[in-house]
Parts: sequence; C-alpha cells; structure tokens
Amino acid sequence: MTRSGLKLSGVSAAYRDTPVLHHLDLEVNQGELLVVLGPSGAGKSTLLRVVAGLQAATTGRVLIGGRDVTALRPGRRNVSMVFQSYALFPHLTALDNITFGLEVRDMPRKAARERAAAAAATVGCAHLLDRRPGQLSGGERQRVALARALVREPDLFLLDEPLSNLDLELRTETRGELKALHARLGVTTVHVTHDQTEALVLADRLAVLRDGRLEQLGTPDEIWRTPATVFVARFVGSPAMNLLPADGPLTPDGAPAARPPGHRIGFRPEAVRLGDVGTPAAVERVDVVGEDAYAYLRLAGDGPVITARVPSASRPFPGEPVRAAVRWADVHVFDGDGRRVTGA
Amino acid sequence: MRRDRGRRQLALLLAPYVLGLVVLVLAPFAVTLALAFTEYDLIRPPVWTGTDNLTALADDPVFRTALVNSLLFGAVAVPLRMLVALGLALLLHRRTAAAGTARTAAVLPTAVPEIAYGLLWLWLLNPLYGPISQILRVGGENGLTAFGRTPPQWLTDPVDARAAIILMSLFTVGETFVILLAARRALPADVYELAALEDATAWDVLRRITLPLIAPVLGLLLIRDAIQSLQFSFVPALIVTDGGPPPYATTYVPLFAYRNAFEYLRYGYAAAATLLMLLLTVAAVALQWRLLRRYGRFHLR
Repeated sequence: MTRSGLKLSGVSAAYRDTPVLHHLDLEVNQGELLVVLGPSGAGKSTLLRVVAGLQAATTGRVLIGGRDVTALRPGRRNVSMVFQSYALFPHLTALDNITFGLEVRDMPRKAARERAAAAAATVGCAHLLDRRPGQLSGGERQRVALARALVREPDLFLLDEPLSNLDLELRTETRGELKALHARLGVTTVHVTHDQTEALVLADRLAVLRDGRLEQLGTPDEIWRTPATVFVARFVGSPAMNLLPADGPLTPDGAPAARPPGHRIGFRPEAVRLGDVGTPAAVERVDVVGEDAYAYLRLAGDGPVITARVPSASRPFPGEPVRAAVRWADVHVFDGDGRRVTGA
Repeated sequence: MRRDRGRRQLALLLAPYVLGLVVLVLAPFAVTLALAFTEYDLIRPPVWTGTDNLTALADDPVFRTALVNSLLFGAVAVPLRMLVALGLALLLHRRTAAAGTARTAAVLPTAVPEIAYGLLWLWLLNPLYGPISQILRVGGENGLTAFGRTPPQWLTDPVDARAAIILMSLFTVGETFVILLAARRALPADVYELAALEDATAWDVLRRITLPLIAPVLGLLLIRDAIQSLQFSFVPALIVTDGGPPPYATTYVPLFAYRNAFEYLRYGYAAAATLLMLLLTVAAVALQWRLLRRYGRFHLR
C-alpha cells in the first residue's frame, strides 16, 4: 500500500462569503506529483492556501503524511510554497532569501549557508547567491524561490503557477527541469496550473477542478483518453474536442443505430478524417501551425462547425467542399448532464 | 524652436511659485541672515556689528540652555514620536471596522489647531484638578499617588515640565502615522504569507521584513520630524509652560528667538539665534541623509 502524502476530506473554503471549494476529497500519494488543473476561478489557489494553512477550511480535514494539520498554523505544517509572484524578500540577497526559513528556526548561520548553497546548486542558481531579487531575471528569481522552498526539506511542496511568469521558451525548459527535480527528490508535490500542456507533461496524476469541485482525478493518459465529463474533454486538448448532438449531422463509422437523443458525442480534431466518404462539409478557415493545420469545417450546409487536424501539406483550402468522417472507436459519448457514458 | 517654447511654458508655469518663494521665503531669509550681523531694535536703523551677536550668543547662558533644551527635546521626542506612529500604523493597517475608527482617532489630535491643543493640555496637566494628576492619584491618599509619591508637577518642576512638552508632542503624529500606514499597506502580502509558512515569529517578521522594507520611508520621516522638532516645541512652550519653570526649563531656541525679537526688541540677536538653529537643522539633516543612503539602497519591486 502506498503511503498518503496529502489527504483532503470534505474540505470546503470560502472567499469572504462566497464559497470557493465544495466538500473536496482528494488524496495524493507519498512522493507523487499531483497537478491541479482548472480555469481561473476554479479554486486552485484556494486549494493550495487551505493546504498551506494560509486560509482556513470552513469544513473538512487536511492530513499531511497521515498527520492531521487542520488546526495547525502554516509554520507547523512543514510545507514549502512557491508563489506565482515568487514572494522573494526584495531587501535580501538570494542567499539570505534561501536561509530565511532556516534562520528563523534558529539554525546556526554557517550550517544554514551550507544547506542553502547545496539547495541552490540543485536548482542551478549557485552563481546568483549574492544578488538581490531586483538584479535577477524572472527565470533566476524562480530558481531562487525554488531553492528557498526545498532547502528546508519539507514534507510537501506547493507550487502555485510557478511557470506562468516565464516566457514560453524558458517555461518549456523549466518544466523539464521541474520534472527531473521531482524525480530526483521524490517530495510529494501539488502543482497548480491553468496550462493543460504543463499539466499533461508534469503530472503523475492530474486533478481537474471546476467551480470548486473535483471534475476528474486520474493519470494524464486517463484524463486524455477517457475524460469523465464534457468539461474535462473540452478543457484538456487544444484545439478543444468537437462536440455534437449524438443524433446530429455527423454519423461516425460503426456507430450503433440507436443513439439516445440528448446525448452528445465528442471527438478530438485529430480523429477527423477528410476524404471521399463521410458527411459533406465546407471549409470555413484553415490555421496552419507548422506541420499541422487546423481546418474549421461547417457541416451539412448550415450545421455546426467542427475542427479537424490535418497535415499542412495536404490541407484543404477555404471554400473547398470536403467530406468528414470519424470512427466510432475515437468517439466519446456524454449524457445530458455532460457525464461520460461508459461502454458506449 | 519647440524646445524654446517648452522652456518658456515651463518658466511661465513656475513663475507664480518662484515669485512667492522669493518674496515670502528667500527675501525674509536673506534679511534675517543680514540682520544676524547687526543690532536692530525696530526704532533706530540697523547698525552693522559683524559677528558680535554670535559671540554674545556663545556666552549667553540662556541661549545655551535653550540650545541644550532643543537638542534634548529633539533627541527624545523624535524617536518616541516615530515609535508611537509606527506602533499605531502596524497595529491599525488591517482593514477592519474597528481599525477605521481607531485610525481616525489617531489622526484627530494632529487636526486640532495648535493654540487650542496647547490650551487643552494646560487643563490636562493642571496639578490640582487636571485629569492626568487625578488619575495618577487614584488609590493614593492626601494627594499622593498609590505609591505614596507626589504626582508630577508638570508646570512647576523643570524636569516634569520638559517631560510634559514631550508628552504633548507624542499625540500629534497624525501625518507620520498616515504615511507609515500607507507604506505598510504597500508591502506585498505574499512576503508575509511566506514568513508565516516559515514559522517566523512576530519579532522576526518585524525585524527581518517590515522594518527593512519601510526603512527608506522611516528615514525620510525621521529627517522631516527632526527638522520640525526644532519648531513644534514653540507653541506648547509659549502657551503651556511659558518657557519656564525657572531656570528656563522649557525655553527652546524658537521661543528664545521670539522673546528676544518681539519682547526685548533685539532683532539682530534673535536673527543670529535663528541662523544657528538653521545651521543645526542642516547638520542634523546631513547626518540623517548619510544614514538613509546606507539603508535605502535596495528597491521595492
């Protein structure tokens, strides 16, 4: 049996009087990297703040490593947090920023400096130790914040959108380093993001949050291949999954004859095949992204628009009549409430 | 062309201010500066006496007392005032309903006109029926305090009178308080949350975070308060203690200058005292500026 790194049971939280989290149950295994994914306002940051103790849960309990910390103040929970803004002390050098947590816990200065140097080396900011935050770039600040978070060897890492302030190239690079760092240190980590690529790449498991409720919890593969709800299906994947009425204008190949009205079918842009057979459609627009092209197709005269991913070398042109087909095996079926219909 | 026009415009816009500055500040200052080297009694024309006034001041025991009083007042009142303002700001920066009322109360004494404020304290400090002495006498007998001592004689004992003037100055910290309140509010919340996660004590937070982060503001306020402290002793000393009790216990340099100019009609002598006060202020500011430069190097994000 795997040990529990973090467990939330029945946790609710509110911002002023507005409920933000609704009786959330969530368990993260020891050493696991859980990514919490969701749109703005889903309650991701609130979730982290409740775990850290910066905000009180209105109901429920928080357990870290099997220890009930619900009533403990933040400093007694042995968690480290990297804030979206990094929250570096502007008046302290990188070194003093990293040793802050050790010094307020009365570690001798020499020992603290040695630990800080080791932590800085781990995240590749050993050469920045005598600089102040004002003299560091965004990426460098992020490294210092990471070093500060891991120097104390916490039971739990909380990362609040740590990559969102970096430019794309640096974000991709740092994402890889974060993953390698987690593999090496093996500290239980909760990483919050609204970037689905980041979530899919980093996560051991992925929790999709919507309006303060857990929409789905699973491995990135499970989330991608068997989205539990329409929301998850649409939120993960870019461009978003196509959604059509089950008895609508496009009939997938091999679909059973009886498809209940009110159900919806979903299929990803890459599942759409353009060719001589299938539903007639008109190409409205084509976006070329390097090797790939995304064709926006209006079905059956004035029907709904679906997206198809095609190799850009063989892309259709706007206005061109085409036929679109989808295999039943690539189709997800959702009921009227937006829940996945299994066995379809 | 354009640059010339811009300059003309700038000069035009600045003109009213510059005019006021010259007529109301610089010219009187120049006259004072010149008067400091003359003997002048408003009746006969001023007589040039060179540095006689300055040497006379140096030998004048009353002036020396006033100078020591002023320095002592500044050295005690300025740090205490800053402490009061900082304490109030850190106590009341949170947004709660009660804090709002308390903030207003903290600023209110500063808004009271100086003369009225002085008269109010004349009543507060009255040794017989003043509320302060009455409170201190609670639990004691025969007009003594609970510890069997005489309550402070605010208006008649030299040491107590000096303390009274300092006490009066501690409640008029409204502006300093408001600026410190704004400075504290401008500090990022996440830095404090991080400190909470690191289990930093309130003392650690104050010493390692809050104070260093508002140090530049504190430094500026200290300079300003030090400059003003040479002046805001004037009204209390005039109204409440009348420069006494003997021997000149609360005669500060401004009151000394005022007495010499307007009561003894020794304008030249008073001007020389004012000049020395100005030099003193400049020295204090220069010293503090150096300290400020040392602590004000870092930048807030």
